[in-house]
Amino acid sequence: MFVSSYRITKFALQNFWRNFWLSIITLSMLVLTLVTINILLVLNFVTNQAIQTVEERIEVSVYFDKEVEQSTVDSAVEYLRGISQVRDVVVVDPEKALENFSKNHKDDESIMASLEELDSNPFGPTLIVKSYTAEDFDIILDALENPEFSDFIREKDFSDYQAIVSRIKDTTDNIRFFGMVMSAVFLLIAVLIVFNTVRIGIFIHKEEIGIMKLVGATNWFVKAPFILEMIILSFVAVGIVVLVSYPVLAILESKFALFFGGVQVGLINYFEINGLNIFGTQLMVLIAITVISTLLAMRRYLKV
Amino acid sequence: MIRLKNVAKIYPPNIVGLEGVSLHIQPGEFVSVVGQSGTGKSTLAKLLFAEERPSRGCIEIGGWDISRIKEKDIPILRRQIGVVFQDFKLLPKKTVYENVAFALQVAGERPRRIRDVVPRVLKIVNLDQKAGRYPTQLSGGEQQRVAIARSLVHQPKVLVADEPTGNLDAINARDIIDLLQRINEFGTTVLLVTHNREVVNRVKKRVITIDDGVIVSDIEQGRYKI
Ligand SMILES: Nc1ncnc2c1ncn2[C@@H]1O[C@H](COP(=O)(O)OP(=O)(O)OP(=O)(O)O)[C@@H](O)[C@H]1O
Ligand SMILES: [Mg+2]
Repeated sequence: MFVSSYRITKFALQNFWRNFWLSIITLSMLVLTLVTINILLVLNFVTNQAIQTVEERIEVSVYFDKEVEQSTVDSAVEYLRGISQVRDVVVVDPEKALENFSKNHKDDESIMASLEELDSNPFGPTLIVKSYTAEDFDIILDALENPEFSDFIREKDFSDYQAIVSRIKDTTDNIRFFGMVMSAVFLLIAVLIVFNTVRIGIFIHKEEIGIMKLVGATNWFVKAPFILEMIILSFVAVGIVVLVSYPVLAILESKFALFFGGVQVGLINYFEINGLNIFGTQLMVLIAITVISTLLAMRRYLKV
Repeated sequence: MIRLKNVAKIYPPNIVGLEGVSLHIQPGEFVSVVGQSGTGKSTLAKLLFAEERPSRGCIEIGGWDISRIKEKDIPILRRQIGVVFQDFKLLPKKTVYENVAFALQVAGERPRRIRDVVPRVLKIVNLDQKAGRYPTQLSGGEQQRVAIARSLVHQPKVLVADEPTGNLDAINARDIIDLLQRINEFGTTVLLVTHNREVVNRVKKRVITIDDGVIVSDIEQGRYKI
């Protein structure tokens, strides 16, 4: 048993070196396939991140009447916080609201002038409500119709956002769908390429395999080195991709940061946390595909 | 040693390879099989090492009925029969030594025994000096000698050679036949398929002539007469 595993390993490595160019071609195909898949992954991650960034900045401002009881405001806050789609509710008191407002409109002289004319603060308490995703805003807006406090709400400032929200919704849905279709197509192509590369490799060894069987090799002894070679190639391919991906991700990270106005998208962080899962899964799937291709090709073409 | 009873081989759809062949070969015999092209000589050889199975009839080798041999037993059979072909059938990516050793490795032989046997058989075919070469770096005659060395590693009771001289010139052919005769003298039963008149006349042993899948003559001490 030990002797034959040693021999199988030796034959697998010999196969690799003595058919160097074939091995290199197979290896490059595997690497290219993995690169494609990882590009899709990065794209998917960045889109999600972009969507999330935008969604995080969307909020509804709820302006209460000046005369509203504090208890009504409190119960509104309580109520909103109880909704699972609400990420956060920030209460802004009237003074702060006025300050924010003046700051935002300090260049608009007519507004500043009319503010000056008022001797008291026109603002009541204000709530700033944030949700997790753009979709949740409909629910939050519905919730604000609650008769317990809706009468005290002077204005809900979401009009600017509504367009953005629905546009984001459309875009993200489109991107996700397109991404899924693209991934599926690329995966299919990748699998076909790997399958065919492996098949050609086996076909090249057709005669050799016939000879091995003629001198009394069992099917297992013929197959094992080829399977092992595929496993080794898969490991090497994933290894190369892992080594290459870190510097590439670092470059991408800085490019994306520029694009998103200085916000880090956390690409490297994402791969650091999930790297084992991501590449581990890729390795397993790659091994499965290459080994199955090998077995199929051998059975189909060589009756092994 | 080899016994065929009423053996027929019909290739699909209905090409006759062999038809009604009965044959008995004693241990230690040297048998030449001759005949025109396409008459079934290779088919006979292939049946003996289970590359093909008979459509009808029964084949026994050393008392083992291999007519309906199971897939998993074929390697065991092949380790007991040496085979040599016109096109040598060496592994191109392995050296001479590795080619010969391979036949032992597939049988799970211990490394110590391999280190012992391989040089010995290479010496028999007089190639111990070229053990490190690849098949492409050898002449045709040398390649065939490697193939013969490989067929000897299990000390087979039977050696089947299908036109082993087909690709060789007269001098190399004679060397190969001499080698086969020497192997035969050490007790191995040899079945030699050949086209070559000179070879048959030189051997002066039993000759079986096949025509259209049928044995048409079987003569002790025969001569080539087609
Ligand atoms: N795999 C096969 N499928 C179908 N027909 C086959 C197959 N192998 C051989 N035959 C046919 O069986 C017959 C006998 O073939 P075989 O190879 O035994 O001839 P042979 O005597 O060895 O000829 P040669 O001297 O040219 O080598 C031929 O008619 C051949 O065409
Ligand atoms: Mg033939």
